Amino acid sequence: MIIENILAAFAEIATIKTIMLMLVGVAGGLIAGAIPGFTIAMAVVLTLPFTFGMPPSQGLATMVSVLVGGLSGGLMAGILTGIPGTPSSVATTFDGFPMARAGKPGLALGIGVWSSFCGGIISAVLLVTLSPQLARIGLEFNPWDYFMLVIFALTITASLAGSNLIKGLIAGAIGLLVRTVGEDEAVGMARLDFGSDALLSGFDFIAVLIGLFAFSQLLRDVRDPVAARKSLTERKAVQVRIEHRAAIREIAKRWIVVIRSSLIGVFTGILPGAGGSIANILAYDQAKKSSKHPEKFGTGVPDGIIAPESSNNAVEGGALITMMALGIPGDVTAAVMLGALLIHDVVPSPTFIAEEPVLAYSIFIAFFVATFMMLGLQSFMLRVFVLVTKIRMYMLAAIILGFCGIGVFAINNVEFDLWTLLWFGILGFLMRQFGFPLAPMILGVVLGNIAEINLARSMAITTDLTPFVTRPWSLFFLIIAVFSAAYPAFQAQRTNRKWTLLYFPAVCLAVSVPLIMMGGIPRPILGGASILLAIVTIIRRHRQGWQLPMAVGPRYTEGS
Amino acid sequence: MNKEIAKRASLNSDSVIAIMLLAACGILFWATFDIRVPDYGQLKPSTWPRVIICALALLSAIYLVQSLRRTTAEPLEGEPELSSLSFGLVGWFSYWRNPIICFVAFFAYLLTLPVLGSLIGGVLFVFLLMGALGSWTLRNQFVHGVLALVTVGGMWTIFTYGLGVILPTGEIFSPF
Repeated sequence: MIIENILAAFAEIATIKTIMLMLVGVAGGLIAGAIPGFTIAMAVVLTLPFTFGMPPSQGLATMVSVLVGGLSGGLMAGILTGIPGTPSSVATTFDGFPMARAGKPGLALGIGVWSSFCGGIISAVLLVTLSPQLARIGLEFNPWDYFMLVIFALTITASLAGSNLIKGLIAGAIGLLVRTVGEDEAVGMARLDFGSDALLSGFDFIAVLIGLFAFSQLLRDVRDPVAARKSLTERKAVQVRIEHRAAIREIAKRWIVVIRSSLIGVFTGILPGAGGSIANILAYDQAKKSSKHPEKFGTGVPDGIIAPESSNNAVEGGALITMMALGIPGDVTAAVMLGALLIHDVVPSPTFIAEEPVLAYSIFIAFFVATFMMLGLQSFMLRVFVLVTKIRMYMLAAIILGFCGIGVFAINNVEFDLWTLLWFGILGFLMRQFGFPLAPMILGVVLGNIAEINLARSMAITTDLTPFVTRPWSLFFLIIAVFSAAYPAFQAQRTNRKWTLLYFPAVCLAVSVPLIMMGGIPRPILGGASILLAIVTIIRRHRQGWQLPMAVGPRYTEGS
Repeated sequence: MNKEIAKRASLNSDSVIAIMLLAACGILFWATFDIRVPDYGQLKPSTWPRVIICALALLSAIYLVQSLRRTTAEPLEGEPELSSLSFGLVGWFSYWRNPIICFVAFFAYLLTLPVLGSLIGGVLFVFLLMGALGSWTLRNQFVHGVLALVTVGGMWTIFTYGLGVILPTGEIFSPF
């Protein structure tokens, strides 16, 4: 059955038109990723209008290609100019740029490209193997569990996306509220439309996403008139040849770094709200800590390029795992992918892989194929990158705004969508300007309907609210939502407040309760192990005299 | 001194935003009473928006308290670059000049869309925006014109002939 589905999916992807679109997608992604000020999410969201007229598998394959290209594009700018193309490749510049300046730009690029490839392949393998398993767990979810899962996704995104949790939560709540405008899906009553016919059909959420993410980002990019008139990078990008063989040799010697960083990437991606911007720094940090020569990091060591590049490419596999298995996007780009599925009337849920196996496997295959395409196209796109660096930001911004003016209309052929784009562009710009993270709002917009539908379903079964705290999965998500809300306070006070020493044991003890409630054999064992871990940690900290840690970890903010 | 002004500006902007959010919550909550309640279904159509509005109001109240308490603390990371607000209206305009130009240009594009259509309107929008954000030298005008024609024309062609989307033709093109 699986083989049949894979073959059917392969037949969907292996058409000349799809392959050509994927090649264009990877090339476009590589360029978009290489342009400082552009984000991968922006590139993917701008691809959406083009995919509307395509069959779902073709449209999604194109978007996956842009995504994979974008993930790898950031390294070109980071290594050759020292300016990361995307926040996902910030750590690549730490060692990539010094290596390039030391006369080895070809090797640095080669290591970056091959690390990206390895990270992509490892995450694609995990995507194919883990998604169906996670979807099986997802089948246990009832409406109460699903509702609480959405709340958890919003809370953790708010706590990871910005420096102020309250602002993140406000952004998430605004996102949820935006989705309530118009007729409600359950009974079809008009809501918050203020008597307007245009508002009755609600805001098109693709227009909202493009406004919030692309429009507002462009306005931000041209805010400074002097910078807007300059070329994209001040430094001259040197033309180089990628040293593939030498790079493969370097990576083969450091395969542990590749695997560890890729796993960090995948598991960061699985976590809602945590994207490549977090993963690349985490992986770099881990590579430095486990190196025999941590003092050499920052001077141009291969490990310093391998770790961030393999992790940032692996992130998207992780984000797609939760999206395909549970219908919960792991990050903003996965949220846009979910939006792409929705415009094709495909609703991701735990039954998605079982009900739409060909589409699901075509996404898996597209991820694999795009990773190989990325490898082949890097050398060619490097030349294009040199040309792109000569473009001035204001020109690019004007052209993309012009594209938004056409592309957004194409989604529904409704002029109101263009007004939606403008108002949400302004809203997104103001939110960014006043320090509100956009990721929770975007997740709120995407997940708002899912939350409400599941709340309505649970109310239809019983009006009793206790299942939200008595059902094991619902309780599990509620507990981790509460602890993720407390996480920013823990992070800020871990070196000066003693209560933070109890944070980890408290998490272990709390999650053990629903795990034991779930029944069966493995989960109660896991619950027991969790209690044991909490006790051991408390004893160890007691023996150490409740001493606070000295080290301060890196600070992470939004921007994948 | 400048830092102090920036701190106060930051405090004020946070408080103002929080108050605006609370006011918006009030208006929206009031609007939920206009939602018709059908005889069927356990979850009333107004319940979910009200839950969100209440949560938003609570969060906004916390945000307001936070902003009022932060009189002596450092501004939070990711706060707006507000030192420019102390330069008066001219300074404020020159600081936000480019985003305002983009908003106004897009607004004008949308207003003229029924007349000009997406092709002529789009080309004009990109050309004029490039000129306003860049410069109006003869050489630049030529470059901007070519870029606007090629990019918008290309996108229009892809959507119209490649994807079969009927874009607004406008009153100028519609007789044809």
